Amino acid sequence: MTFKQKINDSPIDFAIEIINDVKNSKDEGVLKCVQCGMCTSTCPAAHHSDYNPRDIIEKVLAGDESIISEENIWNCFYCYTCHSVCPVGNSVCEVNQILKQIAIAKEIGYDKLYEYLGFADSYFTAAIGAIPERFFPDIGQDVPGWWNFRQNLEEIRNELELDSLMPSKEVIDEVSKILTITGFKSKIERIRASEEVEK
Amino acid sequence: MKDLPTEDILLFRSCLVSVEYPGVEASTKFVFDTLGVDYAISEKQTCCTGLGHYSDVFNQIDTSAIGARNFKIAKEMGRPNLVMMCATCYAINKKSVKLLNKKDRLRNHINKLFEENGLAHLKYEKNDLKPTENIFHVVDILYAKKDVIKKHIKYDLSDFTIATHHGCHYCKVHYEDTIGGVRNPNIMDELIEECGCKTIGWYDHKRATCGTGFRQRYSNPDLSFTATADKMNAIEDEDVDILVHLCPNCHIQFDRYQDLISKREGRNFKAIHLNIAQFIALAMGGDFDKVIGVKAHTVPIDSVIKELKEVKK
Repeated sequence: MTFKQKINDSPIDFAIEIINDVKNSKDEGVLKCVQCGMCTSTCPAAHHSDYNPRDIIEKVLAGDESIISEENIWNCFYCYTCHSVCPVGNSVCEVNQILKQIAIAKEIGYDKLYEYLGFADSYFTAAIGAIPERFFPDIGQDVPGWWNFRQNLEEIRNELELDSLMPSKEVIDEVSKILTITGFKSKIERIRASEEVEK
Repeated sequence: MKDLPTEDILLFRSCLVSVEYPGVEASTKFVFDTLGVDYAISEKQTCCTGLGHYSDVFNQIDTSAIGARNFKIAKEMGRPNLVMMCATCYAINKKSVKLLNKKDRLRNHINKLFEENGLAHLKYEKNDLKPTENIFHVVDILYAKKDVIKKHIKYDLSDFTIATHHGCHYCKVHYEDTIGGVRNPNIMDELIEECGCKTIGWYDHKRATCGTGFRQRYSNPDLSFTATADKMNAIEDEDVDILVHLCPNCHIQFDRYQDLISKREGRNFKAIHLNIAQFIALAMGGDFDKVIGVKAHTVPIDSVIKELKEVKK
């Protein structure tokens, strides 16, 4: 492959950006990668698709930022198998999540979030992470009896003597406020506006 | 091994347990009560954000700010030991505690936002909680009470072929804290043994993902179900009757989609799916409807467990 960046001209800016990301818990792990391929050989997404975790780190270390636009990075299962077997303590799974957040910040990854905005809505309105309703018809079709079960959920919970599912208004308000001040709410609004434009 | 608490516990409510397998919560409470574990639940605690986080909708600051609020609730209740029923809640909360302690920039930023917006009561001080000392999964607590499980067992489930599925977000994310093995996970096998049963132990793909993959199940169903089929085939090859879980996300993937994957693979997968707390509660005599919550299951529990045999005293 062609390296866009050599170690001696503008050293490892892209890798440093990832190391400095708040999500990174592996210190300078990404720089320690020896390209052994243990990650790829144990990865379920690599086994069943063109996703290649070893290749991701190779590109990061080469300063090849085009990786954030690659369709394949969205195939990671977040199973952390690569993270758990890496002999030098790197985590491609974490690097992958950081790359996606960079893609989202650059508005490249917005379309990947459209289907999942329901998670944001349920957290704002009920402080709970419910499976987005737009998936319900598919689940109803794939899982016999599921819709019926969900209709009877309250009754089943009562039989199990569990507390109410819904948090109080006070709790929901506090949580909504947190997600407003972190910038989450305005980000979701921008993504939703982008979806409207595409429709 | 790390110290394992059996008191001052906040049992952390999980969104998926609440709406998909509420019997996991009822069974956990039943088993904790039987074993004398000191715990409470808080109506103020909210979901960890995990499903949204791993669908890339929530970024770290959102998740850790919500985490800080939940950690404060636990501290104020005098219950600094957070115990999770879901592997993803466990991984998410442990990571937030690690980051909030280690990354001054993140902690200071969140605290400043709290302070400027009338939420100063939620501020997180460095080392308010410790990732290893305060963040646990239910299996850790059961492991601490391992030696007393045996004397509360009412039913003998040893005639069934039992296997375990350990859940990536318990075993692989914070592997330094995982009890019972990471590459060959065994904590649930050990707990099941205390119920007088022997699991099949290792099987092909034992440590593999359930295949959910968060967004994969919805955006890439073929990829997701192909990975699940790897594991389901391996389980059927071993003629497994009961697959025991520790994560509601895996539980959904196997129990809800077993029928669909059976058709895809042209095989008749027959295993029923129980959370470890449900399995132990069942062995301890928990009621099918009032404790185990079998009505929430897609693969009927009575398709395998047709009658219960009392343990010979």
